[in-house]
Amino acid sequence: MLVRRRKNTCVVAALLFVNEGRAVADNDTFQTVVRAGREDGVSEERAHGTVSRSEIERRQPRSAPDALRYESGVFVQQSAHGQGSAFIRGLTGQQTLLLFDGIRVNNSTYRQGPNQYFFTIDSRTIDSIEILRGGGSTRYGSDALGGVIAAYPIDPMVSDGEILFRPQVNLRATSADDELGGRVQFHLSGPVKDGSLGFVGGIGFRNVGQLKSGGRVENPNPNTPIGRYPMVPAYAPDGVTQLGTGFKELTADGRLVLRLSDSQRLTLATYHYLQFDVPRTDQCPPPYAPSGTCLTYEQQFRHLGYLTYEGKLSNFLWPLRISVSVQAQHERQRLDDPSVLVTRLGVDDVLTLGFLASAQSRPLLVLPSVELRFRYGFDQYTDWITSEASRTFTDLAQTAKLSRGQYLNGSTYTYGGVYADGSLSIPKGVTLYGGVRLSYVVARAPAEPLSGSRQVNQSWLPVTGNAGVSWMPHKVLTLRLNADHSFRAANLNDLTARQQTGPGFQFENANLNPERATTIELGALLEHELLGVQLWAFETLLHDAVLKVSKSDAECPLATPECVGAWTRFQLQNAPALSELRGVEAMLRLRIPMGFRLRGTLAYTWGESPRVGSLGYGTSGVILGERVPLSRVPPLHGTAEVVWQRASFELSAGLRWATMQDRLAISDYADARIPKYGTPGFAVVDLRSSFRIHDRVQLGGVLENIGNVAYRYHGSSVDGPGRGFMLSMKVD
Amino acid sequence: MNKRLIGIGLWALLGIAGCESTPATMDMLPATLCKAEQPAATMCQPFVGTLSSCKCSVDDYAPRFNGSKNDTWPSCVSDGNAFVLFGTSTPGASARTLAFVSMGTKLWKNPAIPSAVEMTAARDEYAIANGIGSRVARRQDIHYPEVPGSNKFACNDLTVAAQNPDRCAGPGKLKPIIDDAFTKGIAGMKPVVQSARIEAALLWFFYLSSQSEVWTSSFDNAADVDSAWGYLSGTERSKPIGLGLYFQQLDQETYDRAFDSVLAARCWRDLDKDLPSSCSLFYQRAASQVDKAFTRGMALILRDRIGKIPTLTGEAQEAALNFVNIIGLLMDRAARAIDPAKADQLKTSTQAATAAGVNVGQAQSLLDSLFACP
Repeated sequence: MLVRRRKNTCVVAALLFVNEGRAVADNDTFQTVVRAGREDGVSEERAHGTVSRSEIERRQPRSAPDALRYESGVFVQQSAHGQGSAFIRGLTGQQTLLLFDGIRVNNSTYRQGPNQYFFTIDSRTIDSIEILRGGGSTRYGSDALGGVIAAYPIDPMVSDGEILFRPQVNLRATSADDELGGRVQFHLSGPVKDGSLGFVGGIGFRNVGQLKSGGRVENPNPNTPIGRYPMVPAYAPDGVTQLGTGFKELTADGRLVLRLSDSQRLTLATYHYLQFDVPRTDQCPPPYAPSGTCLTYEQQFRHLGYLTYEGKLSNFLWPLRISVSVQAQHERQRLDDPSVLVTRLGVDDVLTLGFLASAQSRPLLVLPSVELRFRYGFDQYTDWITSEASRTFTDLAQTAKLSRGQYLNGSTYTYGGVYADGSLSIPKGVTLYGGVRLSYVVARAPAEPLSGSRQVNQSWLPVTGNAGVSWMPHKVLTLRLNADHSFRAANLNDLTARQQTGPGFQFENANLNPERATTIELGALLEHELLGVQLWAFETLLHDAVLKVSKSDAECPLATPECVGAWTRFQLQNAPALSELRGVEAMLRLRIPMGFRLRGTLAYTWGESPRVGSLGYGTSGVILGERVPLSRVPPLHGTAEVVWQRASFELSAGLRWATMQDRLAISDYADARIPKYGTPGFAVVDLRSSFRIHDRVQLGGVLENIGNVAYRYHGSSVDGPGRGFMLSMKVD
Repeated sequence: MNKRLIGIGLWALLGIAGCESTPATMDMLPATLCKAEQPAATMCQPFVGTLSSCKCSVDDYAPRFNGSKNDTWPSCVSDGNAFVLFGTSTPGASARTLAFVSMGTKLWKNPAIPSAVEMTAARDEYAIANGIGSRVARRQDIHYPEVPGSNKFACNDLTVAAQNPDRCAGPGKLKPIIDDAFTKGIAGMKPVVQSARIEAALLWFFYLSSQSEVWTSSFDNAADVDSAWGYLSGTERSKPIGLGLYFQQLDQETYDRAFDSVLAARCWRDLDKDLPSSCSLFYQRAASQVDKAFTRGMALILRDRIGKIPTLTGEAQEAALNFVNIIGLLMDRAARAIDPAKADQLKTSTQAATAAGVNVGQAQSLLDSLFACP
């Protein structure tokens, strides 16, 4: 018999593995203050934050990256309306690590700079997102230089001893981009011998139209040849509709959780994300190219399946977690070039097999009042790449296969390692912690003589680690000092990829070395029921930082006329000297009478690298020193939110702001996404409300950008949505 | 103890806030040398031979004559009579000139009738990213008024280009010819004729390009002056290829004057590095020198091809006629600017539908009189 039960009678199965005393109710307004308390979560000793499901529902983000916009120290850039990439401490893309339920989403084709891949996690399937700021390689391996973004999916609801069936429908419509979409989801669970079996699954879809902004962002310096406005994005004659935006999306997922006993469970899960016809806004058209030229991701798919066992088996396996995963990433890019009646097609597939094993110890009393905890693990992932490209003369429908695709077909990449970390709590509120990891990375790619592509045969054995101390001088005050050494091994994109970058061309460097980051951070955390304050300051030194360096035609690979003919030519190269990032992050949370809660964040990052290469196209008159700003580092920015909640009615307002960023790297001057010469600041206010009109029906509304401000996140191709509404309905 | 730690924290924060950055600066470069000189022995080198009726000018940049010491241009980087790159790298224009040469071996210089495979290979070279086709689609003819509005690159919009075919000559006039010729050529429809049409349209593209690059160098990217050289040949003076070789094979002095003119442009950009340019005097002189020499060169190419029409038969003659039709129509503006009556007469021949309609002697004579001097 199927039994419908109210939510408050249900227990989320995930709570099985939540640490005692640190669980936080989902309806907490500002859960980012206190971590969700997952045992498999990011290190709580480090600078971090959490976005909860309730916050996601309140803020109605357009995507998973969009859900991070109110996080301290996170700045979300968009190269397309259907893409988004989070900057953490000035780094993004391949220099940050994405996890989904503990499994790496990053693969070896992640390119330098922003990418689209966090967008391929359906925000409607996410229960929470944890953000670790700063290096995280000790536990997570390569790529975790700037930080780690760990998304955790919704778990099935279970009702003790009873069968539960809970269907849910979510619908949403927006005016700024004419989005119409929704998700149908259901939970089904029931008892089995000594445990329970639960399932949650759903199907989602979205049809998103062209995005209308609050107007065109202007160049700070209007006395440039391109006039008042940046060359990207291209706008329709109405001055608000951004061409090269809009997409379609289909998602499907299923998660089966078998609770074998009170201390063991097995999860079999699969998540599918299919995105269609996503124009890359800055390439639709590229700067100076004829209208009609457009790079479109016809297909951007990601399929993930995994089987995870978690069990509390002994004092040193408390719990043990083992995952076997398979992930398939599929991209099909089409470049329409009407200037020469050509369509270019590229199809790239990455198949990743992963294995992950980790365990923790129970707290061990080494001495009276001295408690030891440790964690250890092993992980390995292997990528297999297939990549091909073709061109078609559109007037003749004549197609020819090209000698290579974006990557070298048949490349493989294996990466993994072993690690151990632990913490030692000693009297007077002091805790010492640290860890070490030995990694291994093997990159293999065949040569491709016709395109002058060299064989790649690289391997590295990086050692990383971290150490820190925290001290609680008072029950509400904690001071933390952390040091971390992380790394990112050059991946197959760095080592083999070639790509057009608008009027420019970027080519591979088969001799890149891993980049390493050493971070020192100092934090002060004040945690009280009514008031929470977090202050962090950090300094990151990047050794062998991978920079995009301008090159001469003579340095182009053989047989690449598209490189020789380009305005700007770039190659990734290790910096010859240290690069630096430093900054501050602050967060304030305040609960005040009458049901009001306030929250604010602020972050500033300053980055600098040695000057390598020279200025590219169209940047005469710029004088650079021996050291130059790092590329696309976000400006001073912050957020403020106020929430008023009464019974089933909630009102909130959110402010996002950023100052102008005119500290530009050499490559930034050639980047049409950045206005001449810098991205103007902005302040945008959203108003939101939600109201449960029935036991099972909740309505939500957002009036976004009430000032109809023309704004752009630094480095983005897309200007932010103009004034508009979002309407949502949830039936559960 | 607590106060001490708090103090350390504040110190750390202040340290970060007080960091000195080294941002890029937009300081203006030193003042330019925008003033004509009056050398003690101001003179220019007289023309000789068939060009002896032409008058030289001391306002022209003349690096071949006493290292430019006797003209009225100040000393500059071009005085060594060699092109010194403004930018750090050979311009993409040079690669496009090489592509043009390579296309020529497959098409119009091919001793055999170009096959569909050769046509396709040539089109691939043309259509490659950042190849010639990408620039044809945006090329402007700076002899015509700019498209109204603040966007100097409005011709990139195909709709705008269609509305302004004279200014947006690349997408408005040349692209349709080239696209059509490739389509028909690959389909096997008179590939020799199609090759000649492509050759003519591309030669005009290269002619427009050097002038256009000098123009964009004045306001968009100073290093575009390198492209002006790249579209002429992108080589040292003595080893021309591409358009430069066409000029040289027809008249050495015209080629040398064309090379002088791109050196003049480079000299202007040496004297005036500002962006936008702050020295109209030398910009105008350089642009004028480029226009005159290059236009004379194109007139020689047209004259030469007109002369070949009676010597050819069949598809080869049709090819030459098509070539003349294309270049002749495009030369009409320059001719009309000098003498409308002669332009009308010239147009009658260059736009003839048949070889018999071309008055070879008259047309060549008109070209000689209209474009007598480089």
